[in-house]
Amino acid sequence: MRVTVYAILKDYFDSSFNLEEKFSSVEELKNKLGQIKPKSAAVLNACRFAVNDEFVNLDFKIKEDDSISILPPASGG
Amino acid sequence: MIASPSYLPPVVDSFEYISDKPLDIVGLLAQSRDPKAGALVLFSGDVRDNNIGKEVAYLEYEAHTSLASKMIREILEEAIVKWNLNLAIAQHRTGKVGVGESAVVVITSSPHRKEAYQANRHIIDRIKHEVPIWKCEVFADGTKQWGNNCNCSTITGKADQHIYETSIEEKI
Repeated sequence: MRVTVYAILKDYFDSSFNLEEKFSSVEELKNKLGQIKPKSAAVLNACRFAVNDEFVNLDFKIKEDDSISILPPASGG
Repeated sequence: MIASPSYLPPVVDSFEYISDKPLDIVGLLAQSRDPKAGALVLFSGDVRDNNIGKEVAYLEYEAHTSLASKMIREILEEAIVKWNLNLAIAQHRTGKVGVGESAVVVITSSPHRKEAYQANRHIIDRIKHEVPIWKCEVFADGTKQWGNNCNCSTITGKADQHIYETSIEEKI
């Protein structure tokens, strides 16, 4: 599973990394990342998640070869 | 560029909604002119030299380019239908954007000005609130700050609930 993070999340994680561990859902992945870097938990809770350029809900079932983007609240413009 | 089906020219698929180069406002304006449109509104979001009382050196923008491009295109297509526009285009910068430079441009045109104005505000609101683009402010004192959100959450209490200026206006 490939994970890519953006903006403020890069203060806590590499911008893109592979995870060997299997996660059944996006929520499980989110919780795990929040445990690894507790300071990121508040941001992670406000994030949207996308798999292969489509937004997904927290209960989305992750497949091994999925590419997951974690998107903090937008601040463009 | 996306043009209304009733007013060709057709959709240009290669349009760059996200650009890492300075936005060519004059060029975008020139290609937006349409003899069937009596009103053209151009909004440019420019980089201010100050924020929260601090001097801003420059902004650094980042985007999920493929998703952001897809979303901007969908926002434009919806606006064209809703306000029956002749044209709607939008382009957002990534990378380092200096004070006084344009970070985002939205152009709308319609037979009369009301629709072009309304659609333009709607489009920029949605781009700011929904599209995966982020700004990092770099201040003159060397500190930096990622934009946490578009600030709507301080009022709505939810990161995914936004305030749209156009909807407020329409209620008035």
